[in-house]
Amino acid sequence: MDDVLVTGLGVLSCLGSGADTYWEGMNAARSAPGRVPDPDARMDHPLLYMVPEADLPAGPREQDGLLLGRASQFALEAARQAVADAGLTLPGDTDPRRVAVAIATAMGDSGLHDQWRSAGAAEGDRWTPTFAVSSVVGGLLGAQGANVSVSNACAAGGFGLSLAADLIRCGEADVVVAGGSEAYSRVALACFNRLGAIDPERCRPFDAARQGTMFGEGAAVLVLESAAHARERGATKAYATLAGTGWSCDAYHTTAPEPGGEQIERAMRQALREAGAPDDGGGIGFVVPHGTGTELNDTVESRVLNTVLGAAARDTPVYSLKALLGHTGGAAAALAVATAALILHRGSVPPNVPLGERDPDCAVRLPTGPTAPTGPYGLVNAYAFGGNNVSLVLKEATL
Amino acid sequence: MSADRDLVVTGVGVVDAEGFDYRTALGRRGYKYLPTATQYFLAAAKRALESAGQDSLEAVDPELRGAAVGTNSAAEALHDRMDRTVLQTSAADLSPALAPYFSINLFGSRPATEYALKGFNITLVGPRVAGFDALRTGQRCVALGRADWLLAGATEEALPPTAPGAAASEAGAVALVLEPAAAVAARGGTAYGRVAARSFFLPPRAAHDPALARELLDSALKELGHGLDTGLAATAVLDDSPVGRAVATALGDGTTHVPARAGCLEPVLRVAAALRAGGEAAERRPSAVVTAAAEGNVAVCLVTPGGPDTERDTDHKMRRAER
Repeated sequence: MDDVLVTGLGVLSCLGSGADTYWEGMNAARSAPGRVPDPDARMDHPLLYMVPEADLPAGPREQDGLLLGRASQFALEAARQAVADAGLTLPGDTDPRRVAVAIATAMGDSGLHDQWRSAGAAEGDRWTPTFAVSSVVGGLLGAQGANVSVSNACAAGGFGLSLAADLIRCGEADVVVAGGSEAYSRVALACFNRLGAIDPERCRPFDAARQGTMFGEGAAVLVLESAAHARERGATKAYATLAGTGWSCDAYHTTAPEPGGEQIERAMRQALREAGAPDDGGGIGFVVPHGTGTELNDTVESRVLNTVLGAAARDTPVYSLKALLGHTGGAAAALAVATAALILHRGSVPPNVPLGERDPDCAVRLPTGPTAPTGPYGLVNAYAFGGNNVSLVLKEATL
Repeated sequence: MSADRDLVVTGVGVVDAEGFDYRTALGRRGYKYLPTATQYFLAAAKRALESAGQDSLEAVDPELRGAAVGTNSAAEALHDRMDRTVLQTSAADLSPALAPYFSINLFGSRPATEYALKGFNITLVGPRVAGFDALRTGQRCVALGRADWLLAGATEEALPPTAPGAAASEAGAVALVLEPAAAVAARGGTAYGRVAARSFFLPPRAAHDPALARELLDSALKELGHGLDTGLAATAVLDDSPVGRAVATALGDGTTHVPARAGCLEPVLRVAAALRAGGEAAERRPSAVVTAAAEGNVAVCLVTPGGPDTERDTDHKMRRAER
C-alpha cells in the first residue's frame, strides 16, 4: 500500500488565516474568547473563539446558485490555501476524476439557517442543505472523484481524514482535499449551554478548575496524496505521512465517554499498529489530545494515554490545542492533524497555553515552552457524542 | 487495496413515517424522548436485525460490528424548534433530553448502544447521496478490516413546514444488515442479495456538458461491472436541477424516473425494494439506482438479488415468510 502524504495545508482559526500565521499564533500561545456578535444569542455563556473579522474570506456569498454560510466560506478559503501550498493546479495538472474531496463538519452551514430565523427566510423555494460544505469545495476545484461529507460531531474531522486516506489506499483517488470546517451555530452553542457544558472563562483542558469546554470557529484543509502521485508530479515538500488510523465506538452513552476508556484505548492502539509504531509507546514524539476541558473526557483520555504510552508518558509532550483555539467541533481533529503535520515538519512542539492548577487526575506532560518531539510519530485523538472515537498517527515524511 | 470483501445483505428494515408509533415499533419505555428520526432508524435497524435472524449479530464480536448511516435533513426540524425557543425565551428553556441532538450524528447512532456495535459508527451527510455514501463507506471499512459485519442505511425527518423546499420533505428510515457471504453460508443464513455503490462529483458549472456526465456515470457503472450500454435496468431519483437533468440525459430512455425529495432516503428505499423483490425469479436481474443533487453529488448503487446459494435462499426465505 502506498504512503499517504500531507503535501498542502490551509488553516483558518481565531489566530487568523494561513498556515504561517497559525504556526506563529501557536508559538505565541495567546488567545481569548469573545462574545458572539449575535443579539439573539440568549444563553448564559454566549462566548466563542471566533475567526477575526479581518481574516474572513471576502466571499463568495453564493456558488452555483447555492447560498453559502460561514462554514462553507471557511472551507473554500482553507481549500484554496491548501491546494496552492501543495503546488497543485486544480483542475489542471491532475486528472479531476482522481481527485476526491472529504470535508467534515458538525453543524455545516446551520448558521445560515439561524440567520434566516432571526432576520427572515431565504428567498426562493430551493432548500439549502446544511451539509453541502464538501460539495462547495468540489465545485470550486472541479474535483470529479468521490465527494464525501462526514458529520461525526466533535470527531468528524478525524473520521473525514481517515476516509480520505482510505480513498487513496483503496485506489479510488490519487489526491484528496480533506479536512474540517466549523462556524458559529446559535443552536449548537445554546444546546451546550443547556447541557451546562460551557466553561464561563475559557477552554481549560486538564485544569483542575475547568468547567466544560468552549467552542471555536475554524477550518483546516489538507491535501492528502499518494506518495507515488506526489513524486510523479514533482511535489516539493511533504509535511508528514498519515500513517495510521484507528476507529472505535463506546456503544455506551449518548454524551458521556465510557469511564474505563476501553474503546478509546483500542482506537489508539489500532492507529499505532497500522502506523508501525512501537507498541510500548516509545516512538510517539508528541500527542495532540482530544482534551476538551470537560470533566470526564480529560480524565479518561489522560489515564488511557498513560496506559498506551507506558513509561514514555512522563516525557512525551502533550500539546493541548483546544486551550488555544477553543473546541472547533467538526473541524477540531482536522486542525489537530494539521498541527501534528506542522510539528513534524518543523521539528518543534509549540508551547502550551499556561494552566492554573493542574488536575492531579490528568497526569500528562504539558510543557509551556517549545519542545522537541521525543520520537518520529505524532498521535492525534478525537472523540464525539455517540461514543465515536478516532485516533490518527502521523510520522515524518520523505518524498 | 482494491478488492472488496463479498458482502451480502441478510436483513432489510424499512420504516414509513406515516402511521409510525414508537410504542409499537420499539416498546413503551425508554424511547419517548428520542427525536422521531432516531426512533425511525432504531426501528428500521430492529426490523433489519429480525430479518437477518438472531444469529447474525451474535456470530460477530461486538468490536467487529460497524454502522454507517446517511442523513441530510434529520436534524432540521428539531434545530428549527430549538432555535425558535432561544429566540422567544432563552436556551434555558431547551429540553435537556433533546439538547445533545444538535449533533446530527446522534440521529443514527442509537443502534450502536442497543446492539453493541463497537467497531465504528459513522454518519455521512452529503446532499441526497448520503445513504449511498453510507453503504460505500461501510463496505470499504469492512474491506479494510475495521469490521466484519455492517449495519448501513438512512434516516430522515420532514423539513420544518416553513422551510423552502418543505413540500419535497421525506421522513422515515431504511436499514440493511450486510455480512460476508462466507460467514452467512457457514451459519446457514440466507441473503437478499448484494449491493455496491460508487459516487462521483459533477461540478454544477460543468453540468451543461452531456458528454462529461455520461463519461462519469459510465465509469462509475463500469467499476460495478456494468456500463451505460449494457442494458442495465435503472431507476433514477433526480430533481430538475442542471445536474439532475444531465444525469437523466446520460441514463437515456428506458430509465424509471422517480422525483427526488429533499433528503437521501428515497434512493435507499428503492434499493430496499429491489432487494425485497429479488425473491421473485422475474426480478433477479441486476439493476441500478442512481441519484444526484443540484450541488453536484452523484451516486449509483447496483443491486444484485440473490445470495451465494440462490435456490436455497429463496426456499428458506419463502419458508420464513410463511411462518
